[in-house]
Amino acid sequence: MHENKGTAPGSTLSRRRFFETLAAVGGVSLAMAGMDALGFGFASAQAMPPPLQGGAKGKKVIILGAGLAGLTSAYELTKAGYQVQILEARPVAGGRVQAARKGFVDTDLAGNRQECNFDDGLYINTGPWRIPYHHQSTLHYVREFNVPVELFNNDNDAAYVFFEKGSGPLAGKPVRKGQIAADARGYTAELMAKMAGKGDLDGALSAEDREIFMAYLVNEGRLSRKDMTYHGTDGRGFEILPGAGVSPGPGKEAEPYAFSDVLNSRAWRVLSSVAGWEQQRTMFEPVGGMDMIPRGFVKNLPPVITYNAKVDRIRQNASGVRVSYTDGSGKSSEVAGDYVICTIPLSVLKNIPMDASKPFVAAMSNVAYAPVNKIGLQMKTRFWETNHWIYGGHIYNDIPGIGTISLPSSGWHTGKGVLLGYYSFGGEAARISALSPEKRAQFAVAQGQKIFPEYGDNFETAFSKSWHLDPYNLGGWAEWNEDGRKSAYPLLNEPDGRIYLAGEHLTYLGGWQAGAIESAWAQIAKLHARVQQA
Amino acid sequence: MTKAFLTGVALGALLLAPAAASAAPPGETIFADNCAACHQASGKGVPGAFPALAGNKFVLGAPAPVISTILNGRGGMPAFKSELTDLQLAQVTSYIRSGWGNKAAVVTPAQVIGVRNSTQAMAEQRGLQAH
Repeated sequence: MHENKGTAPGSTLSRRRFFETLAAVGGVSLAMAGMDALGFGFASAQAMPPPLQGGAKGKKVIILGAGLAGLTSAYELTKAGYQVQILEARPVAGGRVQAARKGFVDTDLAGNRQECNFDDGLYINTGPWRIPYHHQSTLHYVREFNVPVELFNNDNDAAYVFFEKGSGPLAGKPVRKGQIAADARGYTAELMAKMAGKGDLDGALSAEDREIFMAYLVNEGRLSRKDMTYHGTDGRGFEILPGAGVSPGPGKEAEPYAFSDVLNSRAWRVLSSVAGWEQQRTMFEPVGGMDMIPRGFVKNLPPVITYNAKVDRIRQNASGVRVSYTDGSGKSSEVAGDYVICTIPLSVLKNIPMDASKPFVAAMSNVAYAPVNKIGLQMKTRFWETNHWIYGGHIYNDIPGIGTISLPSSGWHTGKGVLLGYYSFGGEAARISALSPEKRAQFAVAQGQKIFPEYGDNFETAFSKSWHLDPYNLGGWAEWNEDGRKSAYPLLNEPDGRIYLAGEHLTYLGGWQAGAIESAWAQIAKLHARVQQA
Repeated sequence: MTKAFLTGVALGALLLAPAAASAAPPGETIFADNCAACHQASGKGVPGAFPALAGNKFVLGAPAPVISTILNGRGGMPAFKSELTDLQLAQVTSYIRSGWGNKAAVVTPAQVIGVRNSTQAMAEQRGLQAH
């Protein structure tokens, strides 16, 4: 251990001071390593690419797909000295990491061709759109390529909750989330405090604990100390805002909703003690669109990507691999190498002939892919900010086919804005995707109008994406069931001969960019270890 | 914004109206709403992406695997266990087994319940958040 600088003789070195000392001497990485050793859970394998030392022995790796798994593989293998070539079916890199902005063209399997017509500077992330703070693998490349990021507002107390399927006076009415939270928690705390006050909880609490528990409830539920009752709280907002002089002066707090109305509204479904791990704040987004991340990769790679190359067949034998593909002009070509890293989604790959064992091929059909819809709606004013004071965050609702409406976390007060008009999954996404792009927009505007009356007058143009209708994805992300995880998943995570699969589908981070990156890290580490042993 | 679009918005609101007014049999409506985006109203699917159901041996075979596929999803197809009721699942399964010239026995809600139980495919509440 380093010297106990600043620690009084005989006193224990506090953990915090210990880490501060480590950081001062060895920088943050040493401090992180120290935290890992002490069980603080910073697993370096998920935050940093694997070290690929010892040389590439002249090997060539064919990478199928220039999404984040393919780009990560290519970047790290190139750095380690491998020769790589990426075959990418689309004319651009990024895979599902797409942003639709002016001029972006997309044609789906049903033949719907859309050209994005947003004003300059406006965009919608049609694929991934947020990066949780603990996705250090994604943030590693954000740092590596100097991609500017801004905060993504994933929670907003002022945002509305809209539940039509509840009952009572709050059903089908936009209600601010903070008001539902204050009332649900206030009334619950009141009930608990009254039970504890009557001694009903004495079996579960010692006399001392009961005192502390009562103090906790008063604080948690903002109860009146006098009668242990919830009477509302200023945090849920005002009927008359406080201000200058005597009028408005102190203003007038809004009355709480009745407990039974809150319960019957079902709006409490948006509340939980803590956000799920993948939804936790802090969250980030790249400035200007999520595709700034793949652009960072492309800028830092040699020209190894062959675009408009659709894979037709993957062959392998004891000495190498060959991949045939159709190029942009419709001509068939073939590339040869030592190994393949295939990042094509299993939904698409299972239709591509491949020399692989029967169980390996069969395993690909053991996973479902999620139908996923998104739509960006360009509005001519940012009425949600100016009229409703909602700056980013989500409008949770139970409107079938809408899922979540989300307001942009950038471009405040700039006039126009693009909001996410729906983000829905499963059967309800399949249903809306059967409509033409124009009808999808009409649907999104008609439904959103129930929450924001300004929708219809402000709507200008839309861009919609249905991932299950994209020929290169056939779904938003892989959805494993328990059986598939047990049998197919481990099999597909191991190479079949010279073919390695990688992508979000081979992780427990399904649908996240971090999944694509960490799967690539895991597979290139295996491939490299094999090359070293040979 | 055009007047035509505003009319469209009004139509869009109707899209979610109950299907009671529709004259089509319930199985056909359920198919149009939930399945046709991929398998197409013609039942012919999209070659290389979504299989045809018309004349499909699997669809016309034993009912349990067909019901299980719709409940649980399979190889790219989503699960409908939480989206549709037992009655709706029976109706739509019967429809795909009898539409487009297909001829196979209808499926009852009791059969759907049986497969739900044997494959542990109970309906789950949709989460509010994903990725």
